[in-house]
Amino acid sequence: MKKECVAMLLAGGQGSRLYVLTGDMAKPAVPFGGTFRIIDFPLSNCTNSGIDTVGVLTQYRPLELNSYIGSGQPWELDRLGGGVHILPPYQSATGATWYKGTANAIYQNIGFVDYYDPEYVVILSGDHIYKMDYSEMLRRHKETEAACTISVMEVPWDEASRFGIMSVNDGGQITEFAEKPKEPKSNLASMGIYVFTWQKLKAYLTADEQDPSSQNDFGKNIIPQMLADGEKMVAYQFEGYWKDVGTLDSLWDANMDMLCPGSGLNLLDKTWPIYARTPSCPPAFVGKYADVGNSVVTKGCSVLGEVKNSVLSYDVTVGEGAHVSYSVLMPGAVVEDGAIVEYAILGEKSRVSRGARIGGAPEKAENPDNWGIAVLGPGTVVSEGEQVAPKTLLDRTHGGVKS
Amino acid sequence: MKGMHGIIFSYEKKSGLRELIEHRVHGSVPFAGNYRMVDFMLSNMVNAGITDVGVIMHGKCQSMLDHLGSGKSWDLSRNHGGLTLLPAFAYAERRETAGQFRGKVEALACMLEYLRDIRQDYVVLSDSDLIINIPLDDVLQAHISSGADLTAVCTSAPGESSDTYFTLDGSGRIVDTVYDVYAPQGYRCLNLFLLSKDLLVKLVEDCAAHNQYSFRHNILQEKSKMLRFNGYVWDRYAARIDTLKNYYDRSMELLQPTLRDELFCPQRPILAKENDDASSYIDPSGRCVNSLIADGCDIQGNVENCILFRGVRVEKGADVRNCILFKGTVVQSDAVMRHIIADKYVHIQPGRTLMGHENYPLAIARDSVV
Repeated sequence: MKKECVAMLLAGGQGSRLYVLTGDMAKPAVPFGGTFRIIDFPLSNCTNSGIDTVGVLTQYRPLELNSYIGSGQPWELDRLGGGVHILPPYQSATGATWYKGTANAIYQNIGFVDYYDPEYVVILSGDHIYKMDYSEMLRRHKETEAACTISVMEVPWDEASRFGIMSVNDGGQITEFAEKPKEPKSNLASMGIYVFTWQKLKAYLTADEQDPSSQNDFGKNIIPQMLADGEKMVAYQFEGYWKDVGTLDSLWDANMDMLCPGSGLNLLDKTWPIYARTPSCPPAFVGKYADVGNSVVTKGCSVLGEVKNSVLSYDVTVGEGAHVSYSVLMPGAVVEDGAIVEYAILGEKSRVSRGARIGGAPEKAENPDNWGIAVLGPGTVVSEGEQVAPKTLLDRTHGGVKS
Repeated sequence: MKGMHGIIFSYEKKSGLRELIEHRVHGSVPFAGNYRMVDFMLSNMVNAGITDVGVIMHGKCQSMLDHLGSGKSWDLSRNHGGLTLLPAFAYAERRETAGQFRGKVEALACMLEYLRDIRQDYVVLSDSDLIINIPLDDVLQAHISSGADLTAVCTSAPGESSDTYFTLDGSGRIVDTVYDVYAPQGYRCLNLFLLSKDLLVKLVEDCAAHNQYSFRHNILQEKSKMLRFNGYVWDRYAARIDTLKNYYDRSMELLQPTLRDELFCPQRPILAKENDDASSYIDPSGRCVNSLIADGCDIQGNVENCILFRGVRVEKGADVRNCILFKGTVVQSDAVMRHIIADKYVHIQPGRTLMGHENYPLAIARDSVV
C-alpha cells in the first residue's frame, strides 16, 4: 500500500511538568479548551492536510489515549488502507526495549513506515496547540528537494534561549542549529514539526542507533548530525497561533488565549476545524441568577453562579453563589454552591465542595514571587470550607504535591 | 433470539408545525438545542440494548436520511442488523400506486418480508416524534410478567381530542379504546407499543388479508376482545408535538431543571448526531441568563429564556428573549426578538424587531433573511 506521506505523532511523553494532571494519563490526552484534548490538534491537522495514515507512538500511561483515539472515527482516520494506528513499544526476536528517545521511537517502527512505503514522513509532537496545513510544508519540502524541512516561527528575542534556534540563509536553508542557546543568533524557533525524505531519515536513524553515546533524540542528535553532514535542511516559516502546552502555566495561558480575540486562537472558526471525541450531552444551561462573562461554556454544563474569564469543558457544574474566575474547568468538574475558584485548573471530575476556596489572584498574594496557578488533579475532592492556596497542586490522594 | 427489535414510523403528518415541517417530517424537527425528535426514540432503544432498528420512511425524508446516515451516532452501524431504512417504494410496488400509507398496519404489511426476518422475540413500535426517555427494558419486563399480548405505553396527561385514549381496568388491561373524542378521557396513548414478533406478523397478515390498515381501529379496538392488551402508564416527561404553540411550550419547559433531569438522565443518555463544534463563547457585554446553549455559539448580546441550537451568533446590542433559535441563526446588532422560533440559518439583520407572543409564537422559515 504505497502512500506519498505518512505522519508519525510522538505521544509517549510523560508530561511530568503537568504534574498532577498527568498522573493517570499521557500528556496528549489532557483536555484542552472546552471540547478538545491536546492530541486533537495534530490529528485534525493531519486530516485537514490530506494525510490519512498516522502512527501514534505511545509509551507512558497509554490507556486513556488509546481509548480516546479508538478507531479514529472522529478525525475521519478510520480508513481502509491507512488510518490511525497506535504504536506502543513491542517485543521482537532480538529483545524488547522502551522507546529510548524520539528518534528511537521512530527507529523501532521503521517496519510500520516501510509497510506504507512513503516518499516522505511528517514527525509531529502531541503537545502543541496550533492549526497548520502540513501539505503546504510538504509542498515546500518537495520544491526545495530538501532532506529535511523544519517548521519554525519567530519568537520574541528574550525568549529565544528557551527554544531550539535555527539560523537560516537568504534561501531559507538552515545554516546552524542551536538547542536552547545562551546567546541566540536568530529568533527562529523550531516548532518540533519535521518533514523528512523517508529514505534519508531511515539511514540516519539506523546510523544513530549504532552510536551508543547518542540520546536517540531528533533535536539533540538527528538534526545536528544531518546538518553536520551537509544535508539540505530547509526552514518552513509558520505564521499563526502555536503554543507548546507542556507546563501548567502554558496550558493555562493557552486556554485563556481562547478568550482573547487578539491571541489568534479562534476555535469557532470552521475553515480549519479541530475534531474531537465527546460524549452526547444536552446543551449547556445558564441559570436565572448566573453571571457569565468572557467565558466559554460547553454542552452538559450547568452554570448557576458567577463565571468570569474561564473555560468550562463539558459536564461542568457551577453551583449557586459560586464564583469562578480565570480558571480552566476540565470535563465533569464540580464547583458546589458558594465555593470560590480563582486562577486554577480543575482536573476531570474533581470536586470543590461548598464554601471551599481554591487559588487566588496574583495581586492579592501574600508572597507575589511565589504565586502560581492552583491545580486539582483528576478526581480530587476538596472538602467543605477547605482552603487551597495559590500554586498548590493536589492529586486524588489529596497529598499536596508542591511544584 | 431474546430481546427486542425496534421499528420507528417516520412519516408526514398533517399538523400545525407550519414552517418547521416545510422541508422535513416530524421526526427530524430539531428539539432541545442538540437533537432531532427521532434521537429520543433511537436512544431509548439503544439504551435498552436494542441492536436492530428499522425506520419506515415516507414523505419528505431527505432531512431524515441526512440525519440518520449509517446510524453510527447511535451505535447502529453494524455488520449484522443495526439501522435499516425501509423506504416507501415497497408500498408503491405492492399497491402499484404512489399514494400515502392509509395507516400504520398498511405500512407494516408492505414490510412483511422484513418483519418475518426479525431475529428478536419482541418488537417495539414507535412514532419518530415521541420525545421521551423511558427504560424500554422495564416495559418489556412488565409486558412479560403481565402475560399481555400487547403492551401500550400511555400517560394520564391529557392531549388533543384526535389522540387515542384508553380505559384501563384494575389489572392494567385496556378495556376500551377511543379516539376523536369530544373531550380527552382516561389514559392517552403515546403510540409506543410492545408485542411479540410472531403476534405482530400474524396481526399484520390478518389485517392485510382483510384490506385493513389502521392500527388503532383494526387492532387496538377490534382485537381487544380476543387478545389481552395492557397499558403501561408513564407519567414522567413525554411530548408529542402537533402545533407551534405546543412545540414552544414543551421546549421552554426544559428550562426547568426537574424536567430536564427527567428527559436527560445520565443513566440513559440521549444520543445526538456527532458534531465538531467548539465550546460556546459568552461575551461580558451581554447578559445571558436562564437559557440552554448548544456548542459553537457566539453570544455578544442579551439572551434571556432562550434555547440556542448549535452555531448561533447573537451580535452586540441584540436583545433576544423567550426565543428558540435553530442551528446557524444569526441575529445582528441591535435586533430585538421576542417569542420567535427561527429555523436553521435564519438571518436577522441589524435593528430588526420581531415580536411573537407567548400564546402565539411565530416561526420563521429556514434560510430566511429578515
